[in-house]
Amino acid sequence: MAKLKMKQFTIVALRKDRKYLIEHLQDSSIVELKYGKEAAEGFKKIDLSSRRQVFERQKANAEKALKILDSIVPEKSSMLSSFSGRREIDPDEIGEFAEKASETADLCTDIIDLEKAKAENAAERVRLRNQIAQLEPWENFDIPFSLKKTASTAIIAGSFPFSLNETLLAEKLAACDGLVFKSEIVYSSGDITCFVLFVPKTQAEKADAFLRSEGFSYPAFQGSEEPKKLIEEYRQRLSDIEKADKAADEKIASFADRREDMKFACDFFKIRANKYDAISSLDHSAHTFVVTGYIPEEDSERLEKICNKLEMCVLEFENAEEDAPVKLKNNKFSEPAQGIVTMYASPGITDIDPTPILAFFYYFFFGMMFSDAGYGLLMFIACIVAKKKFKPEMNMRNNLTLFEYCGVSTFIWGLVYGSFFGNAPAVFYNHFTGASITMADICPWPILDQKSDAMTIMILSVALGLIHILAGMACKFYVLWKNGDKKGALFDVGSWMLLLIGVAVAAAGAKFGKTIMNIGIYIAVFCVAVLVLTQGRSNKNIFKRLLSGVASLYDVTSYVSDLLSYSRLMALGLTTGVMAEVFNLLSEMLGKSFLGSIFMIVVFIAGHAVNIGLNVLGSYVHTMRLQYVEMFSKFYEGGGKQFEPFSLNSKYIRIKEDNKK
Amino acid sequence: MNYLGLVLAVVAAVIATVLSGIGSAKGVGSAGQASMGVLSEDSSKFGKMLVLTLLPGTQGLYGFIVGFLIIANCGILGGELPSKGQGIAFLAAALAIGVGGLISAIEQGKSAVSGIALTAKDDKNFSKAMVSITLVEIYALLSFIVSLLAVISIPGIEI
Repeated sequence: MAKLKMKQFTIVALRKDRKYLIEHLQDSSIVELKYGKEAAEGFKKIDLSSRRQVFERQKANAEKALKILDSIVPEKSSMLSSFSGRREIDPDEIGEFAEKASETADLCTDIIDLEKAKAENAAERVRLRNQIAQLEPWENFDIPFSLKKTASTAIIAGSFPFSLNETLLAEKLAACDGLVFKSEIVYSSGDITCFVLFVPKTQAEKADAFLRSEGFSYPAFQGSEEPKKLIEEYRQRLSDIEKADKAADEKIASFADRREDMKFACDFFKIRANKYDAISSLDHSAHTFVVTGYIPEEDSERLEKICNKLEMCVLEFENAEEDAPVKLKNNKFSEPAQGIVTMYASPGITDIDPTPILAFFYYFFFGMMFSDAGYGLLMFIACIVAKKKFKPEMNMRNNLTLFEYCGVSTFIWGLVYGSFFGNAPAVFYNHFTGASITMADICPWPILDQKSDAMTIMILSVALGLIHILAGMACKFYVLWKNGDKKGALFDVGSWMLLLIGVAVAAAGAKFGKTIMNIGIYIAVFCVAVLVLTQGRSNKNIFKRLLSGVASLYDVTSYVSDLLSYSRLMALGLTTGVMAEVFNLLSEMLGKSFLGSIFMIVVFIAGHAVNIGLNVLGSYVHTMRLQYVEMFSKFYEGGGKQFEPFSLNSKYIRIKEDNKK
Repeated sequence: MNYLGLVLAVVAAVIATVLSGIGSAKGVGSAGQASMGVLSEDSSKFGKMLVLTLLPGTQGLYGFIVGFLIIANCGILGGELPSKGQGIAFLAAALAIGVGGLISAIEQGKSAVSGIALTAKDDKNFSKAMVSITLVEIYALLSFIVSLLAVISIPGIEI
């Protein structure tokens, strides 16, 4: 129910036992290692980074290969599979898998090579396509480009960047003085005219100069083959490449059944890399090595057991210093909310573990915002089923349990508000019998109607908010008192708490009578006086003291805004309720016909699904906000470091807990 | 002109729903753009991005609820038609969530965009981003409560 007591340990053991010890520490994941940057005197660090790099490279390879495989044969996974945990592996199986790992690594390299060849092919393909595109206009030209002349005639092949027909081309060429020529258009389209020109050898230069001035360009390729043959050759190469790619894909796809092995290899190499990383940071002497770190006190026996198995080993515990990492432990009721605390920050040095208080209010407020018995029941059942079916791991399990408990609270609040899928029971009863009853008539207990009693619910919300804030302040009071700052606890926190209570009593008095109101006012006035007199107590000067005392009363604005913020309890609850009613109203719109009934079912299911989605999200976020902003701001410092055990930091597999050891 | 009150009430419902709807659409729209950008890099952040993107969406819901309550109270679905005075009162009540929702949703969208960028850098910033974004929402909430309390009590007043 609190922060676990941390111990600091030191193990000195022989180097030959290093592998055994480190591997067992990693498997048991009960310690957090402490790394010093510099080796202590008489010791030195050993550099294993080259070995680590080998494993890291292999891990990266396996990951890459998995990605390639996934892109070709996507892994079948449903939306819900994210609930299920990593694959469990028996400790005895590990050896078997580990033997396979190096073979799997070769497989991964093969896959990566295939992919690399594919990438090269892709570049080649682009090149070939370009060439084909350039050559295509010349497809009907049956002279190789390299042939420039015959005995007496020069052959000029090339293109104008505009469209011409035979006559226009002849006209254009005739503009060159005295040129004797014969021309033939090979290809012509909107923006290019490819043609061949035969001129006497003696006029070749003249023709060339003229053509250039007109925007003529020579083809970018030369070759002793006819263009047609070239195109055919390129096309052949293109189809060869495509075939090769297909074959590579098939080859990769054929490895799909090795996916699990690859995943294991990925984790295996990662774990090894982590291990070497840890070893390189340990202090070594010629024959021994030293491990230091943190361990929760309750796990220290397990560490002793591991060490006892070694032939020679010294294990020492001492109390950890204050800034040791923090591990929280809570009972079944509040454990699910632990994640919400750590998401904000781990408790700092002076903090108490706020999880139990937070857990209670989290469930309570979530229920008040989601506020529908039907939805609550649904959520409760869904979470239980998911836990049974998917066997999720710790974190996911806690999240599901969190929503399971929130479901219970939602169910209860739904009963209070008389809401079961909105007003569905009343709507359906009226629909089929023609009666006009409301939820208030159905529920045998007095309900708080979210619409007509909105004002009451709002006052209730603010009152609950006051309790929430007071709980936060009580924590602050406790922390200050425990740490010896009794004045601070009484004057800074206690008097504000009492002031808030006084104001609340006075407000209640407005309904319950003058006497109560007066009592409240007396309390409040007394507290104001205490605040004015004590808040400036660090000042020596009496006037400055009083002045800063009065100034401190300005804090009242922050309390007012905090309290108003709790009106969201009413607003979000109402949102759920009214949206549900709207969907119920829509669903019965088409009447009692067959078609109308189908429409009713569809709209009812779809509408409530949307409503659940939107409002679960809203309730989750806003409940969290109330905890973080309104309550934590009263006492929680945070800033602690979370306990991160040295463990098998794996992604796909986990080793089954072996209880025999 | 017996129907003037009804017309005004319907206009009020439209104002409440449409204005805050525009705000939420803009807010969610810009947050959505930002989160798509993040998802193109790392699709595993989908859950967190979804939460942050949807945060500016509540204003639209608030507006819709006020709009619905006005419709439910103005006699279209059965019951008495509102008087002219009641119609004007509905209109005034709708303005609170209409304008408040419109502007706060757009502003919340902006902070959601920044929150998404923050979460994209490091998942651990998610809760901070989320809390900061919800800080904007309190003002929409206050507008909503004003509109709500007014709309609920208007049918009982004779004006």
